[in-house]
Amino acid sequence: MDTQALQQDALDAIASATVLADLDEARVKYLGRKSELKLALREVRDRETGMALNAAREAIESAVAARQAELERAELDAKLSSERVDVTLPAELLGDVHPRPRGHLHPTTLIRRDVEDAFIGLGYEIRDDREVETLEYNFDKLAFPEWHPARSPRDTYFLDANRVLRTETSASQIHAMEERKPPIYMVSIGRVYRRDAITPTRFPIFHQFEGLAVDRHITMADLKGTLLHVMRALFGEERRVRFRTHYFPFTEPSMEPDVSCGVCGGEGCATCKWSGWIEIGGSGMVDPQVLANVGLDPDEWSGFAFGLGLERAAQLRYDIPIIRPFWENDLRFLRQF
Amino acid sequence: MKVPMSWLREYVRVGASAEEIADLLSVATAEVNGIERRGPSDTALFRVGVVLTADKHPNADRLQLCTVDVGEKQPAQIVCGAWNFGAGATVAVALPGATLPNGITLERRELRGQMSEGMILAEDEVGLGTDHEGIMVLADGTKPGTPLTEVLPLVEEILDVEPTGNRPDLFSVYGIAREVAAIFDGELVPLSEAKPPQAAEEQLDIRIDDFEGCPRYVGRLFRDVTIAPSPLWLQARLRDAGMRAISNVVDVTNYVMLAVGNPLHAFDYDTLEGGRIVVRRAKKKEQLRTLDGAMRELQPSDLVIADAKRSIALAAIMGGEETEVSERTTNVLLEAANFEPIGILRSSERLALRTEGSNRWEKGVDPYLAGPASTLATQLLVQLTGARWTGAADVHGDLPARRTIRLRPERTNEVLGLDVPAERQGAILARFGFDADGDGFRVPTWRARDVTREIDLVEEVARFELSEIPFTLPEKDVSFGSLTREQKLRRVVEDALVGCGYSEAYTPSFPVTADTVALRQAIVPSLIEAARLNASVDNSGIALFEVARVYLAEERRHVAGVVQGGIADARWAVDQIYAALKLEPSYAQATEPYLHPGKAARTAEGWVGELHPNELEGTWGAFELDLDALTASAPEALRAVDVSPFPEVRQDLAFVVDDEVPAAALAEAIVEAGGPEVRDVAVFDEYRGEQIGAGKRSVAFRVAFGSHERTLTDEDAAAIRSRIVAVLHDRYGAELRA
Ligand SMILES: [Zn+2]
Repeated sequence: MDTQALQQDALDAIASATVLADLDEARVKYLGRKSELKLALREVRDRETGMALNAAREAIESAVAARQAELERAELDAKLSSERVDVTLPAELLGDVHPRPRGHLHPTTLIRRDVEDAFIGLGYEIRDDREVETLEYNFDKLAFPEWHPARSPRDTYFLDANRVLRTETSASQIHAMEERKPPIYMVSIGRVYRRDAITPTRFPIFHQFEGLAVDRHITMADLKGTLLHVMRALFGEERRVRFRTHYFPFTEPSMEPDVSCGVCGGEGCATCKWSGWIEIGGSGMVDPQVLANVGLDPDEWSGFAFGLGLERAAQLRYDIPIIRPFWENDLRFLRQF
Repeated sequence: MKVPMSWLREYVRVGASAEEIADLLSVATAEVNGIERRGPSDTALFRVGVVLTADKHPNADRLQLCTVDVGEKQPAQIVCGAWNFGAGATVAVALPGATLPNGITLERRELRGQMSEGMILAEDEVGLGTDHEGIMVLADGTKPGTPLTEVLPLVEEILDVEPTGNRPDLFSVYGIAREVAAIFDGELVPLSEAKPPQAAEEQLDIRIDDFEGCPRYVGRLFRDVTIAPSPLWLQARLRDAGMRAISNVVDVTNYVMLAVGNPLHAFDYDTLEGGRIVVRRAKKKEQLRTLDGAMRELQPSDLVIADAKRSIALAAIMGGEETEVSERTTNVLLEAANFEPIGILRSSERLALRTEGSNRWEKGVDPYLAGPASTLATQLLVQLTGARWTGAADVHGDLPARRTIRLRPERTNEVLGLDVPAERQGAILARFGFDADGDGFRVPTWRARDVTREIDLVEEVARFELSEIPFTLPEKDVSFGSLTREQKLRRVVEDALVGCGYSEAYTPSFPVTADTVALRQAIVPSLIEAARLNASVDNSGIALFEVARVYLAEERRHVAGVVQGGIADARWAVDQIYAALKLEPSYAQATEPYLHPGKAARTAEGWVGELHPNELEGTWGAFELDLDALTASAPEALRAVDVSPFPEVRQDLAFVVDDEVPAAALAEAIVEAGGPEVRDVAVFDEYRGEQIGAGKRSVAFRVAFGSHERTLTDEDAAAIRSRIVAVLHDRYGAELRA
């Protein structure tokens, strides 16, 4: 028996079946109990022939399954097409338009709007940049050292050798500074991506807002004051902010801002792990190397930058202990906002 | 980095409490995640005891009945289950009233008819170890009644410090001590330079073939080593720092790494072919079984330690199994080397093998540290293993000289926004180990990697003064902030959908649990998942929308929705989106992948219809529109038109047409035929029935006529109407119904 020829015949028959009945006929003919293939399989003595016959059987079976799905869908669609309506009619003639109570914006959006408004009040522009970034913008121009763990595929989603899903909104700093000369006051808001196991408090996608001010004589004091203003706009006038030294590749000096705990007012509680403070993001003075990378003289221009998470801010404001509901979209959660 | 306070205080004299140290370290150096406390909370009733008598319990074969001098007038009678001691032994005792770390408070109580007044302690009962084979037998010579804390590390406070990746110097107790000394102006105790006497001058055969990968290799040979468990104090420190105690030699290498930050390795000297050490790159196809038992395929980029014949360790990452120190080891070659970080990082990444050692090397360890590290290890090995130190070698290339960096004090103040006098800046830098040198400062060797520029010196001052820096806002010349048009219209669309009863969803840009990143090209599939979840928990009135990017040839913002109900609900929402943007949608029959083939419409910006029944159980509507296209076509400016003072004439016109003729085409023809006087056309009814005939339907329009110049007469209206009827008849064969 010529297995290859048999397989080709079967595949042709399957492909040319245009209704389910034809397909079933082909199935019986080539795979049925009395089919040439099944009979040959029963008689097989040597391993090689057996493998060839089984391979043919598998190829035919999967072709039948695929064609069956196609034909079923086609038959269903033919039936559905008879239910055709004139979609150019007004909505109320297409069916019942159900009256619904007002819906709800997602908490991430509520925070996003407050961030936008707070910075517009300070005279900033709001940016929304691309999420697929080149290594150049995501790392190189931001002065990430070669050893930085974010450069590794263990931490970052690579699309190819040169493109990643941005790991922070900081690439917007470079875009903003390349687009025009300072003074620049901008906030970039959007999705960022980090390869993280999904846990109650972590999800590989989240939203950041990234601020950048570049001007003459920008100081760390200005950074502290700006973040204090924004924290109060987001969390209330009574909040305090403190800064801890930290390290980020694209800022020097770098600091992490903490906001005083809103649950205990700074006295210490489980939410703030008894410290009275809650970590809220990263910040620092734009590294002179980053300024040089976009052609600005670090002795003439200085700047600060900061990045914070929208979900994190929403968690703090609305007392949401875990991240999961932000991406699950259960209406019992969403309807609270 | 876990830092036991007792260890830290060995290196820095400072009065501050653990809490005060944690607070200021967090601000100026590295975050302290917490302070862990080990041991009983009250140690007053934990004493050294001397066993006076120890006899079998009269009523129990497995128990001993002891009398123990605990420094009181009367000895205490204690029943004990262990047999690894007898009369005369010095032991650790907890008296009645003492609370053990596991929370149990001891009481006087009878055990098999004999009063027991306390407990003779095993190491696991006070959190000093896991051994429960017997009680702890202490060194003789301590007075009975001495507080136990004086002879055992009974309690410990442990700082959990999280250094940032740029500060390899902080991955050691001594490194943290240096910071504490600087911040609190305390005294830093210098590392002991005292070398124990060297018993012989054996030559060591050590060669570095690759000075770039290994700038320095200090080797020390020890003979007559006795492998044994480490003393309790050392075991406790290792455990408190998060490492396991193994045996004295290995424990010393780990202890020194934790103490000063230089990872060490110990080889069983007798297993080295030719007694030789060569630091070189791996050969092609070379293999090495590391001491975790795995056979590693090496590449020429991997740095290895080899002997005369083969590689014996993956440099800086993990030792080899064949040359590992074992119970039988008597001669040890200690390695205190220095390795270049990036190559180590690459090898450790490729092999997916990270260790306490590689974690330090990949950040860059001070090459000057190999000296003090080998000295400390030598002291400990001689002291703890009874070994003789018989050989030493220090092979190195040019070690980097200390760099001097210029600092303009006024520059510091410009960056900080705080006036810090030049002398104070100098004093702060001196405390952190930066020595004044002309108009600059010399960088200490342990900071050579992260302090290379003026701004890095500024940061040293800044982190010390962080809390002093005031809160100000930039003084700006320009000051105008506003949402862009796209951002404003996004809010308009969001609000329109909320008004239609839709709640906003956020769904992932790609299936995050999959191995590869497949970025989405439409939002609706994710919303279908969200709708399915809502349906599965019996939520009612499900209507979800999302605004997010999709990833086509370029990134585009889309707005999409899924709604329980059907095409009418989805169409209604799409109508409202267009209306909110002052746009007129035009719908056309279509087929779309996710939609019911008979109930799918396209607009210029996207699609809307009923979900295909294969997508989701039940009847659902869905839409997906290109938001960027929508906002681009939304009119930039609106011009108001006066409301006409003349009343409109309204007429209802019903036409019988073939089923296939879309209502929208008829409406368009009505406007065209009627001319400028046609103010509004709206379909208000669609009818099929026997009188009309198969394949045909009646579509009824309400048409409004009007003029800005005058009130239209019945004749005017009749003329327009007959034009409309004629055109619809010509174009579509439409018949006006009576
Ligand atoms: Zn709190």
